[in-house]
Amino acid sequence: MEILLPSIVRGLGIGSTYALLAVGFVVIYRATEVVNFAQPALMILGAYFTSWFVIGLGMPFPVGVIAAMIVMAGIGAVTERVAMRPLVGQPVFSAAMVTVGVFIVLTMVASRLIGPDILTVGDPWGLERVEVGGFAVFQIDLAKIVISLGAISAVGVLLKRSRIGLAMRATSLDQETALAQGVNVGRMFSLAWAMSAGLAALAGMLIGTGAGGIEATTALVALKALPVIIVGGIDSIQGSVVAGLFIGVAESLTRTYQPEYAPWLGANFDVVVPYLILIVGLMVRPYGLFGTPEVQRV
Amino acid sequence: MKQHTTRWRRTAAVLGAVALLAAACGSDDSSTPAPAPAPAPAPAPVDDTPIFDVGVTEEACEQPAAGVSNAGNGCIYLGILSDLTEGPFAPLGVLIQRGQQDFWGRVNADGGIGGFDIDIDTYTRDTKYNTADHAQAYRQIEPNILILAQSLGTPTTAAILADMDADDVLAAPAGWWSGFNFEDSTNGLILASGYSYCLESMIGLDWFDENGPRPIGSIAAVGYPGDFGGDVAEGARLWAETNDVPFTGFIPTGPNAVVGTQDAAVGAIIASGADIVVLGLGPAETAEIVGKVAASGQPLGSILFLGAGPTWNPALLQTAAAPALIGLYTNVSPWEDFTGPAAGHAAMRDAFGDNAPINQGYAAGWVWQYPIKALLEAGAASGDLTRASLRGLVDGLAVDYEGVLPATQMGGDPNVNVNRTAVIGSVSAESPNGLQTIVDGYRGTTADAFAYSAACSG
Repeated sequence: MEILLPSIVRGLGIGSTYALLAVGFVVIYRATEVVNFAQPALMILGAYFTSWFVIGLGMPFPVGVIAAMIVMAGIGAVTERVAMRPLVGQPVFSAAMVTVGVFIVLTMVASRLIGPDILTVGDPWGLERVEVGGFAVFQIDLAKIVISLGAISAVGVLLKRSRIGLAMRATSLDQETALAQGVNVGRMFSLAWAMSAGLAALAGMLIGTGAGGIEATTALVALKALPVIIVGGIDSIQGSVVAGLFIGVAESLTRTYQPEYAPWLGANFDVVVPYLILIVGLMVRPYGLFGTPEVQRV
Repeated sequence: MKQHTTRWRRTAAVLGAVALLAAACGSDDSSTPAPAPAPAPAPAPVDDTPIFDVGVTEEACEQPAAGVSNAGNGCIYLGILSDLTEGPFAPLGVLIQRGQQDFWGRVNADGGIGGFDIDIDTYTRDTKYNTADHAQAYRQIEPNILILAQSLGTPTTAAILADMDADDVLAAPAGWWSGFNFEDSTNGLILASGYSYCLESMIGLDWFDENGPRPIGSIAAVGYPGDFGGDVAEGARLWAETNDVPFTGFIPTGPNAVVGTQDAAVGAIIASGADIVVLGLGPAETAEIVGKVAASGQPLGSILFLGAGPTWNPALLQTAAAPALIGLYTNVSPWEDFTGPAAGHAAMRDAFGDNAPINQGYAAGWVWQYPIKALLEAGAASGDLTRASLRGLVDGLAVDYEGVLPATQMGGDPNVNVNRTAVIGSVSAESPNGLQTIVDGYRGTTADAFAYSAACSG
C-alpha cells in the first residue's frame, strides 16, 4: 500500500490532466465534427501565458491562470474564425488537416516565445507532499485531480444547463436545423474553440507544474489525450473522464511495477501503455466506452 | 573596309576570350587585375591567394559573421546543423550558434583568414535533434560549405559521418561522445574539443571520491540510451570497475516530451540503492529527477547527483527543484564558462557584452570553433583551402584555445592527446550561470590512468 496508493494518486493526477485535454478535443468535435490536432500547441501556449502573467507580470497565481485561459480562449476563437470557418461545408478530413497546420504554426510561435528558457508557472504546490490515508502524496497530484475534474464539471454544467450549452448541443446534433431555429452556428463554433483553448491553457498550467518546468517540446505530452478520446468515445465528456483516469492510473502502475515484475518488457514500457489500451479498446468497442455508435446506411 | 573591321573585331574578341579563360584558370583572386588583351606576354602577377574548391568563393560573403566584412575578401562558408527551435537541446543550441557567430565575427574584424571572411549564417539549418532531418539538411548544404562548424548531437552526427567521409567534410561537434576522439569511429573528420562524456564521468567520480562528503559506495547512471547518456553511463561503469565499487546499472529514460514524466527513473534510482547517480539527460529531466528524489523521503544527502555538461541550465534555479539542486547536484564541465579568467573568456565578454548568457551554450559554441580557426589558418598558410587538403592537415594540428583549454594537438593517439581536465562546480543562485566553480583544471587519478584506446560506447 505504501507504494500502491501514491502510485494510484499520481496516476489519477496525470490522468485527470489527460481528461481535461481530451474534453477540449471533445467539445470541438461535438460542435464541428473535426478532431483538433492543434490542442497540444494551445496547451503549451497556455502554459507560456500563465508563466508570463504569474512570473513575468507578478500576478497572483489564480489570477494569472484565469488571465491565461481568457487569452487562450481569444486565440482559440480567432483561430477558428481565420483558419477553420472558411472550411465549413468542406470534408472534415480537410479541416482536420488544417488543424495540423495550425498545430505547426502555433508550436513554432510557442518555441519562439519560450526561446532558450525553461519556464515555470509559479504554482504554489512545488514538490510539497501531504498525508492522505497515512501515505505521503504530492500536493500537485491532488491539485491536478481537483482542478481538472472541477473544470470538466463546469463545462458539463454549462453544456447541459445553460442556453448557450443548449445551442451548442443543438449545433452538434444538426447544424442546419439549429440555424433554422435561430442559433448562430458560427458563433457556436467560435465558442467551442474558445472553450477548448481555455481548457488547454488550464491543462498547460497543470503540466507546467512539473519540477523541471516547461519547454516547447512539452507540447507533445498532450498527444496522450488522443488515446483517451478514442477509448472514452470521441463525442463523450463522460468517456473522456473515465478513460483519462483509467489510462493515467494504468500508466502509473505500469511505471511503478513493470520494472520489478516484468523487466523483460524493457525500459519505459509505460509510454506505450495508453496506445495498447487504445488498440484493445478499438478491438472491443470501436466507438469508445461512451461514444455514440455510428451507423451508416450504404 | 567594313569586312576588314569585322575581322579585326572577331580577332580581338577571340584574344579577349582566351585571355579571360587564362585568367580564370590561372588565378582565383578576384582582386587580380585582368590581363590586358595585348599579344605580348606580361609578367605573371604575384598571387598568394590559396587555392580552393567547395565552400569558398572569390565573391564577398552573403552574410558575413556578425555583419563584419573586409573589402576585397572572398568568403569561406561554414555550415551549422543544430537544434534551434523544438528539440530537447534547443535552449543550448540557440546560444551555441550565437557563440559561433561572435567568434567568427571577431575573426572577420581581425581581417579574416587568408583573404577570406567567414559566413556562418547562410548555411545554418535547424534539424531539431532529429536524425533524419539532420541527414537531409546535410545533403542540402554540403555543396556550398567548406566545413561544418557545428553538428549538434551524438546520434545525429553519427548519421552523417559516412557522407562526410565521402565529401571530405570536417565538422566541429556540439557534443562530447567518446567516439569523436577516435579515427575508427569518425575517420578523423571530427574536430573535438575537451574531454569526452565517458572521461567526464570518470573525472567527476574521481573528484567525488576524493572530495565528496563520503567515499562512493555504489553508482547508478541515468540517461538517454543510444545518446550521450550511454557514454556517460559507460564512463561511470568503467570507474566503478576500476575502483571496485558496485555499479547498480544504467537506468534508461527519455525526454519528458517522449516519456511524459521521470517517475520511472526516480523509482529506479531509489530502488537501486546507489548513493551517487551520474546523469546524462536534458535540464528539465534533471530537475525533475533530483527534485522528486529529494522529495521522496530519502534521508537528506543520501543520494547525490553528478551532471554532464548538457544537463545543466541556470533556469532550473527558478523551478521547484532549485533547493534540491543546490543541495544535491554537482556539475562537471570541460571548461570554465563565460565568466572565466582566460583571454578567450575576456574575448567572449567583449563580444557578448556584460550580461552573461543564460546558459553554457555560448561559451561552448565559441570554444568549439578554435580547431576550425587553427585549421583554416594552417590551410591558408599552406596555400590550399580545398577540403581534401584541410583533411590532411588535421593530424597533428596544434590548437590554441586562448587559455580556455590547455593547448591541444588534433589527431594522433587519443590516449595522449585528449584533454582530461574538468571544471567542478556546485549550484549557486548568486552566480550568473547558476554554477560556482569549486576547482578548475581538475585531473582525476582514475581518468588519468585510463587507457583510452577505443570509444566507450557505440
